[in-house]
Amino acid sequence: MLISLDPQDTRPIYVQIVDEVRRALVLGTLGPDDPLPSVRDLAVKLRVNPNTVSQAYRDLERQGMVYVRRGQGTYAAPGKADGSQRQTLAEEVARRALHDAWRNGLTASELIEAIRSEDHKHPTEESL
Amino acid sequence: MTTALPTRLRDGALAVSTSGLTKRFGDQVALNDVSLQVPMGAVYLLVGPNGAGKSTTLKILLDLFRADKGTAEVMRLDCRTRAPEVRANIGYVPERPDWGYSWMRVGRLLEHHAVYYPSWDASYASRLAQKFELRLDRKMGVLSKGQARRVHLTMALAHRPPVLLLDEPTDGLDPLMRDETLGVLADHLAETETTVVISTHHVEEVERLADHIGVLRNGELRAQMSRADLDAGLRRYSVEVPEGWAGAPSLNGTVLRRVTAPREVQWTVWGQEKEVAQQLASSGGTVREVVPLSLLDATLALLNPND
Repeated sequence: MLISLDPQDTRPIYVQIVDEVRRALVLGTLGPDDPLPSVRDLAVKLRVNPNTVSQAYRDLERQGMVYVRRGQGTYAAPGKADGSQRQTLAEEVARRALHDAWRNGLTASELIEAIRSEDHKHPTEESL
Repeated sequence: MTTALPTRLRDGALAVSTSGLTKRFGDQVALNDVSLQVPMGAVYLLVGPNGAGKSTTLKILLDLFRADKGTAEVMRLDCRTRAPEVRANIGYVPERPDWGYSWMRVGRLLEHHAVYYPSWDASYASRLAQKFELRLDRKMGVLSKGQARRVHLTMALAHRPPVLLLDEPTDGLDPLMRDETLGVLADHLAETETTVVISTHHVEEVERLADHIGVLRNGELRAQMSRADLDAGLRRYSVEVPEGWAGAPSLNGTVLRRVTAPREVQWTVWGQEKEVAQQLASSGGTVREVVPLSLLDATLALLNPND
């Protein structure tokens, strides 16, 4: 799993880290029982405050996406690359798209229509 | 209820605090009634334009300057009456690293510095010297600004003090070394319980480390809050308005900026997002977008409202 932060993203950094881990779980780049980087290593890599990484890990633990082995570290919880995480991820992508549509004065149905037609023109792997 | 910009933090143990600090240089007011609150373990960004009083504040903490009024404490020690103990608790990187010692070689200066600090960690010092690519055989006087800054960072960090006061720590560093420095600071924070005050006008460079912010302008502390509070309370609202719009009702918040164009207004407001958006909508506007601000944009709005 490689975590990177988007400098344009103005959401709190711990939220961005949580989302990156969720994405890695769904994509499978973070497998069940795989270790997450230590707080220190990730903080140094991302150049962020270690407390921010701890906050993200606590949040992930609260959501059941990771578990902590005392004195050893944080690990990906098994069975988390399932439908519910995909659902959460899809909702997040939808929220971003809707936000962008609304900003551009478009309605949700105009957006959905455009997504269908684009998907038709440039089929993604899945819809082929 | 009005939602004024916060200038006081909620209760909690403070590593650095000042109360009503006032300092004049001749007839110029450098600081006016500044009450800084830096919680234990915080990375506190003190921002403001040149001449806002940032360096003056740090120098009063070190007893290099004395305030005309008010008090200052570091780790609960009075900065004036217990200055030597206060300094032992501080790692300081000055804005202009040009005090004396220009004849001394870097290696010798580090040894010299180590003697004053019982907690000096020699192996950490040499690791830092390596990371910062210090040339120990060079004389301080011939170093570039960035090289001197790295020597000072090494001296400040290597005794693992409870408090770091960093005055423009990234100033003069090339992009690679700036990045390395941020990594060193993140690593230091993970390893050592430290409270950090960073004075800077390069907000975007250190924003990922900061969890508190204080905004100084013309010697006055305009706002002081945690990053979480800032993230929750400050938004930019883009609103579509009808031609000849009478304007929003008085908003339940502090309006920092208002930019108007025909049929469009952008507000930067400190307040409850739901309330503010509702008030804007019920006045006939269509709220197109509500976005949080980057720390840099937030700082600019706090420093320079109404423009």
